[in-house]
Amino acid sequence: MPWYLHLAARQLFPTGRRFPFFTIISALGVALGVALLVIVMSVMGGFAYEIRHLIVDTEGEVQVKARGPIADYASVVKRVESVPGVAAATPYASDAVMIKFGDRPAFPMLRGLDLATVGKVTPLDRFLIAGSLQDMDDDSVILSDQIAASIGANVGDTIEVYSPLIIEKLSADSVFLPRQVRIVGILHIGHQQLDSSTVYGTLRLAQDLYGLGSLVHGINVRLQPGVNEDDAVARINALLPQDIRAFSWEDSFSEFLWVLNLERGMIFFLLLFIVIVAAFSVTSSLLISVVRKTREIGLLGALGGRPIHVAACFCAQGLFIGILGTLAGLALGFTALAFRNNVVLWVARVTQREEVLRRFYQFSELPSHTSPSTVALIVVLTIVISTLAGLLPAWRAARLKPVEALRNE
Amino acid sequence: MNDMVLSARDLRKHFRSGDAVLEVLRGVDLDVSAGESVSIRGESGSGKSTLLNLLAGLDSPDSGTVSWGGSTDTGASRRAAYLGMVFQSYYLVPELDAYQNVLLSRRILGGLDKAARARARALLGEVGLLGRAHHLPSQLSGGERQRVALARALMNEPKLIVADEPTGNLDERTGNEVIDLLLGLCGSANTALILVTHNQAHAAKTGRSLLLTQGVLGPA
Repeated sequence: MPWYLHLAARQLFPTGRRFPFFTIISALGVALGVALLVIVMSVMGGFAYEIRHLIVDTEGEVQVKARGPIADYASVVKRVESVPGVAAATPYASDAVMIKFGDRPAFPMLRGLDLATVGKVTPLDRFLIAGSLQDMDDDSVILSDQIAASIGANVGDTIEVYSPLIIEKLSADSVFLPRQVRIVGILHIGHQQLDSSTVYGTLRLAQDLYGLGSLVHGINVRLQPGVNEDDAVARINALLPQDIRAFSWEDSFSEFLWVLNLERGMIFFLLLFIVIVAAFSVTSSLLISVVRKTREIGLLGALGGRPIHVAACFCAQGLFIGILGTLAGLALGFTALAFRNNVVLWVARVTQREEVLRRFYQFSELPSHTSPSTVALIVVLTIVISTLAGLLPAWRAARLKPVEALRNE
Repeated sequence: MNDMVLSARDLRKHFRSGDAVLEVLRGVDLDVSAGESVSIRGESGSGKSTLLNLLAGLDSPDSGTVSWGGSTDTGASRRAAYLGMVFQSYYLVPELDAYQNVLLSRRILGGLDKAARARARALLGEVGLLGRAHHLPSQLSGGERQRVALARALMNEPKLIVADEPTGNLDERTGNEVIDLLLGLCGSANTALILVTHNQAHAAKTGRSLLLTQGVLGPA
């Protein structure tokens, strides 16, 4: 090991000292910054990851849409399913409705599903908490749990459904009665927005309510595992007419994903300042060290040490603090992530806001997804910033002339 | 013919203090041959340390030349191999134990190997500190610290050792021990020694005694 690295390590971890105060305090500052970055970025990544899964589970990886409703959807589905990499496709019709149980209304989106094919694309069974998908027919619906709770309905109850078509007919002085449908199931998706605004019925029910005839609003597509979404979209589009286009879920939700990424980027940028502040503290400590060790620096020159190596000795101390702080920060961050739900629930319980938390959170648990590339970015940036923190002290040390440094009292 | 380890010719150095100009060295000539020991005495402020810094290549003269073994290259890299230094205040690295302090010279020079580690242990044995090899400087007495500094100065088998009042911080008995050890080690290694000292008795133990007065070096 070069002498300047050896000396840097020994100055941070002197022989016989179990608790090198300066090193621990400096590394702790860096560690807290790293831990916070890991925790926040993982939780934000968790939200994005959960949203991706929910979108894919409820919409499929690819959506096929046209400017208006799609005619002869059966042939479109056939064409889509013939594309290599496509596992299954299912048509849907979706629009806003008003539902009413007694005198309690709600205004969800009603999504009409093709019961014969929907199971191959969206695993709705997984989300059911009461009733069964098998019981669904053209006169029944499945409600999300928050809607069921808001109108006070349960499995077996009958609700009234008013579609935009009925309101349209009303304005033309025609009388249309609302559709009476039974509730055959209640589901909980785990996403606040979906759980508060989704009703599922059959495709035929939706087509009747929206006056679509045999048309559909779109087709959801499930890909085989490992198939690249963009490649699949390109292959599907090559087979479809120009007025019907396939979009990956990322294209369909591009604005939402852009906002998510922007939020993540801004939070990362802001939290990075904690590491930068910690780096300033490292600079300050190392500058004090240069002043305290002026005569030692002179000695190193007298023994034949070159100024660049003396500088490297102090830069390396910044590097070592960066590495140590990063490792400690990663350990701290991942430990905190492992216990995140316990902490959140404890805080909610102590503040007696557990219900509020569940109601307003998008997910029932605090999600976490740590992206290796984000961790790599945190590690590299922290170590680079910490090493740069040693530059100013290093420059000061390198400028000291041995003869003047040795004369220093 | 003796090999010339160090040659200084017409060294001049001045310092400015405001408008005043202080001529510290006014044409110093010095030749030191291999294995020779030379003492330089002088009053405080006479320029002994300034001269030593010029001879060790730590400072540059206003005029004149210093050459080591016939070469005027007195840069840091060459100094690590050619010259050992001993200071009044020992200047041991506090975070390193005695053994690591001795090894530091070799680390800086490069080529730290088994033989170098063995030499460091042998030198600590020669200065009587093998049993305290893993003690930190703060756990050693002044005399012991200076002995570690002697071992460090000899680590790279230098041709020349310059010692700047190495007994200045020691009591008389310990000082005598350190000087005897220094002269003995230099003698057995055929290493030349330039000893700057106030102590006449210590100076008398060297092969040649010089006196620096009014910026001029002459026989004591």
